[in-house]
Amino acid sequence: MSSIWLPLCLLIYAAITLLWARLGAMQNSAEGGFFSAGHALSPWVTAIVMAGISLPGWLLLSGTQHIAEAGLQLPTLLVAGVVIALPGCVFFKRIWLASMRLRVSSLAGLFGAYFSSPFLVIATTATAFLFAIGFAGVQLRAGGLLIASLTDGALDPVVVSTVIGFLLFAGVGIGGLRSAAYLGVLQTIFLISTLVLLTGLVLIELGGFAALNASLKSLSETDEASRLMTVQKVIQFTSGLGRGTDPALANSAIANFSLALALMGFQCGPVAMKLVTSTARPTGLAAGQTWVMVGTFGLLIVFALAIMGLAGLIDPDYSLGSLLAALHDQSPWFAGWSIIGVIAGVQVLAGLSIFVACESLIRDVYKPYFHAALSKQDAVTLVRIAIAIVILITVIMQLLAPITLSALAAIALPVSVQLASPLLGVTWARWITRPAAVCGVGFGVVAVLLTEPLGHEILSAFGLDLPWGRWPWTVHSAVWGLVVNFAAVLIISAITNRQAMTGEAQSVHDLYAKSLPSNPAGQSLRPVAWSLVLAWFFLAVGPGLIFGNFAFSAEAGDGVTWLFGIPSLWAWSMGGWLWGLGLIWFLSYKMGLASPVHVSVSAFEPAPRLTLDTSQQERERMRRILIATTIGAALITFTIFSFGG
Amino acid sequence: MDINSRIERQLLVFAIWCVCGFAGFATLLEGFARDVFIISLIGSAFIVAGFIGHIIINALFKMGFTYGETVLGIGLFGIVVTTFVTGWIAGGYTDSDIWSGLTLIVIIAVGLPSYLSTRYGMRGAFSQFHKTHHSNEDLDG
Repeated sequence: MSSIWLPLCLLIYAAITLLWARLGAMQNSAEGGFFSAGHALSPWVTAIVMAGISLPGWLLLSGTQHIAEAGLQLPTLLVAGVVIALPGCVFFKRIWLASMRLRVSSLAGLFGAYFSSPFLVIATTATAFLFAIGFAGVQLRAGGLLIASLTDGALDPVVVSTVIGFLLFAGVGIGGLRSAAYLGVLQTIFLISTLVLLTGLVLIELGGFAALNASLKSLSETDEASRLMTVQKVIQFTSGLGRGTDPALANSAIANFSLALALMGFQCGPVAMKLVTSTARPTGLAAGQTWVMVGTFGLLIVFALAIMGLAGLIDPDYSLGSLLAALHDQSPWFAGWSIIGVIAGVQVLAGLSIFVACESLIRDVYKPYFHAALSKQDAVTLVRIAIAIVILITVIMQLLAPITLSALAAIALPVSVQLASPLLGVTWARWITRPAAVCGVGFGVVAVLLTEPLGHEILSAFGLDLPWGRWPWTVHSAVWGLVVNFAAVLIISAITNRQAMTGEAQSVHDLYAKSLPSNPAGQSLRPVAWSLVLAWFFLAVGPGLIFGNFAFSAEAGDGVTWLFGIPSLWAWSMGGWLWGLGLIWFLSYKMGLASPVHVSVSAFEPAPRLTLDTSQQERERMRRILIATTIGAALITFTIFSFGG
Repeated sequence: MDINSRIERQLLVFAIWCVCGFAGFATLLEGFARDVFIISLIGSAFIVAGFIGHIIINALFKMGFTYGETVLGIGLFGIVVTTFVTGWIAGGYTDSDIWSGLTLIVIIAVGLPSYLSTRYGMRGAFSQFHKTHHSNEDLDG
């Protein structure tokens, strides 16, 4: 009897998905806007979906699991709400203005127009695919396996993955961005309610918040477990994970700091930017980043996710999978609801990232370079076909190649954060030239690959073996990439002509100068802002975390007393969240980085050009690419055959 | 009201009921299963919270319940009453189950006239029941 609730809840969820896909499609047929919702998404919709794609789905699945296994050694996870909101706070307003000026609706399109760089367009599209196939695929797989295990094999993982894939297609393939965004709101709400529900149940089961901490206290009295409540060192000079005798667990302060920079990849990436460029007006950016992202979701992370993870640390029976299994036996209606929340949380990112990847592929790569005459209706059809193919690939990879999926997922965030340098060029640093941006991203991505298992595996296939492992010195690959990226940007910008700018780029900076006049109060507060940001990074996610180990605890007799009744590092992270909330508010409103702006943005008028028939060149380009691909594939196969392991 | 506002209202209504409806239903069932009246009462409270949230959204968008929402609401109320009465007659309910069911039904039954009377006044509330609606836009006409 109990097994009926899970399929019933899934059926309700499927009905809701199909209904909103239909509503989105109907609105599209009335008003157009398959690709960008007619640039009419309400700011509140953007704010909620932005938080939904950035934070909780993966944190619920992976974050709680990490805390359950490794304790509080990565407190950066607890202030993820603040860390992830920072790039949005800095970039979103200007990106919205630039996209309106150039009349583009994606990050790839924006880079294409601003820098006139096919490389940046392709790199951005590839990043979207990393999120769509890798990052989202891993989460979908975890969700699918969870459902399959809860039904004791009654629902096969293949069936579950197929159903979830079908729902994904229904959500984004039929109604486009509009239904993806509307569904995203509902999915985010489902996820939040699930988080609150599960946290409440965990606390009830454990006997309350005080009982949770009492259990943690007794756990911390053993040597091994006490280590799990602290950040061990500032840095570990090791060859990286998987090399040498030192296990080099990524639990140093620098590992935390570098993870923080990697997490910023969420809002530097094409998925978040798609939402921004499809928003009707930039009046809700500050409120979204401050109160939704950091205030609400940040609070949920620092309390609810921490409670769930730490409960799993106390007793593995409280880990997410075990908790849901127990719930399924005792209260199947709550289990059904929770599973919907987990699936929804995963689908919100998966749906949008698949849509953005396929849209970029067709509209920013295929159309401009291979088929300029492609009509809008044909583009919609091609995007739908691409979505179906990508979902099929993701489902197949979930079932047949989960390790490759994990390897792709691992580089999604570090590669995405490499786009920070061209983003800075578009928004703030006009001196970043096109060659600098291209080289920065290119070198940055290579550095990421060389410090991640995917790059190691690729090189190993060619018979090359690197002397370091994953994340040398416990520094995340994102930071290795950023160091190389910004070094290249600074050097190349210094030696190239910084005055050479496309008309589009000049027009964007003229718009900033006109629409965002310098604010004298903001100017005077600039040193304060920099100091606050740097101090926050140092204390909340950087080397200052070492102080957090003992700041809120005191020696008492033979043992240690926790001043607030909770582990010192947890209290430290709560302080970091509170400070972070104030920081984001200060940057968004007082410094005006994301404050509402009410301007009418006129479109950039390019110089008149003669329209030529480019079909011949496009065919030639396609032919050359096919030949190059064939030769490349043959050479790769030959090299791997000759030297590969 | 333009199509964007209408869709946004619908989205908010869905969001409210996705949380309060699911929570209310699941908590009610939990109360019945554990035979604990207070848990069922919390379930009823969630449903009332959903109803209040719905009214607030209506006020924000300056409209009343749509025809579809009214039909769905009354239909669900009818199903709840029929199921409860049938179960009661068939026997097997504990005291807690009976109190839980009655509480929910009374809350909803009192809630509807209360809403109508606060929105339209006592006389206007009665008028709502003999008005003929040709439009499926909203009950307020």
